[in-house]
Amino acid sequence: MKCDEARPLLDAYLDDELPAAGRAALHDHIEGCVECGPEAGALERLRNDIRRSAPVYRAPGFLRSQIRSTLRREARGASAMARAPSWLAYAASILLAVAVGSGGTWLMTGERQESSIGDELIDNHLRSLLADHLTDVASSDKHTVKPWFAGRTDVAPPGVDLAAQGFPLVGGRLDLIQGKPVPALVYRAGKHVINLFVLPAQPNALGETASRRGYTLRHWSKGDLGYWAVSDASPDEFSKFERAFRAAAGG
Amino acid sequence: MAWLSERRKRTRFEAVILPHLDAAYALARWLSRNDADAADVAQEACLRAFRYFDTYRGGDAKSWLLRIVRRTCYSWLERNRPAEIVSLESWPEIRQELEASGDTETKLQNRSDLRRLDSLIEALPAPLREVIVMRELLELDYRTIAEVANLPIGTVMSRLHRARSALRQAWDDKDIDQ
Repeated sequence: MKCDEARPLLDAYLDDELPAAGRAALHDHIEGCVECGPEAGALERLRNDIRRSAPVYRAPGFLRSQIRSTLRREARGASAMARAPSWLAYAASILLAVAVGSGGTWLMTGERQESSIGDELIDNHLRSLLADHLTDVASSDKHTVKPWFAGRTDVAPPGVDLAAQGFPLVGGRLDLIQGKPVPALVYRAGKHVINLFVLPAQPNALGETASRRGYTLRHWSKGDLGYWAVSDASPDEFSKFERAFRAAAGG
Repeated sequence: MAWLSERRKRTRFEAVILPHLDAAYALARWLSRNDADAADVAQEACLRAFRYFDTYRGGDAKSWLLRIVRRTCYSWLERNRPAEIVSLESWPEIRQELEASGDTETKLQNRSDLRRLDSLIEALPAPLREVIVMRELLELDYRTIAEVANLPIGTVMSRLHRARSALRQAWDDKDIDQ
């Protein structure tokens, strides 16, 4: 074997990708050649240096659990959308509402339909906090969060980051409201979490602010989108948030 | 019942695909060069993989997942950091920069500082970086790299060779006498 035959094969030799016969021939050549021998040695040294120096990246623990819960949610959402018993999701939310409600005041009787949306939103807000499932897509980047919803929901939520105004975007989540997948944008206000649900605007929707079970619900609409923000942040924080969001979303 | 089959699908996915999450994260991390972005990409890729899981027909689960991770990562970069998508055509200039950053004096100085080698790998254009990372760090063979990167094996080999030459040029070339 000559050097100009051997050279192009050195990488494959190092990578152990040569067939046995070629490997043996190259081995003999390298052993005896004053040019190719050091060349092969240098390649091998580079490999060792890379493997010795490069950080070993492993998936962080939070990512693992985040992915698991995303999958759980996705599996649940897919089966609900496949017209499989969405009563399961409902049953779960009612059970949870009862569990939460039994400790507090229970005010559901005879209220208008919008108020039950309000309750459902608050339940979803609570569930997002309790079940350690704040987001399906965790990102402070609106360019990641907004496209994530594409094709998953009927409405496209605007991508708005309010970090500069003190409400950093945490991510997005898909919730079931009245049996339909609804996007929730998740923001932080200090230690509090604000869930902003985006639904098709409804005529006669609930008035601007409602408070129940210690949570505040604010509603506004813009064009054909209805926004429902739920949180236990202070009313001041809350109206600041609404103003910031409306300004940033152009309305 | 759809609910049950979705549940079964998830259990199987967690058993077959998720064991390769570390490799998925590592590839995303080397391509995005950032922890937070790598986590986002890995998460998005896993969700996509889960949706496409019906199309997984057995075989090497790791390369199946990595293929999705790689695609997800590139489209993520296109959306978020388009400036970083460098084609190999502008490679000559990049190579010059790389070499300039590793002139002989700093080479000798930094010989012991292995961290510099990482930054040289990170400075490689993605098409070269991904093959060197898959080969040396994920320890995949040529056939698998070709599958993941959707390239002919010959291209994998030539890119690997270019990546190694560039790293040696910038790093330890004249240094054989030590």
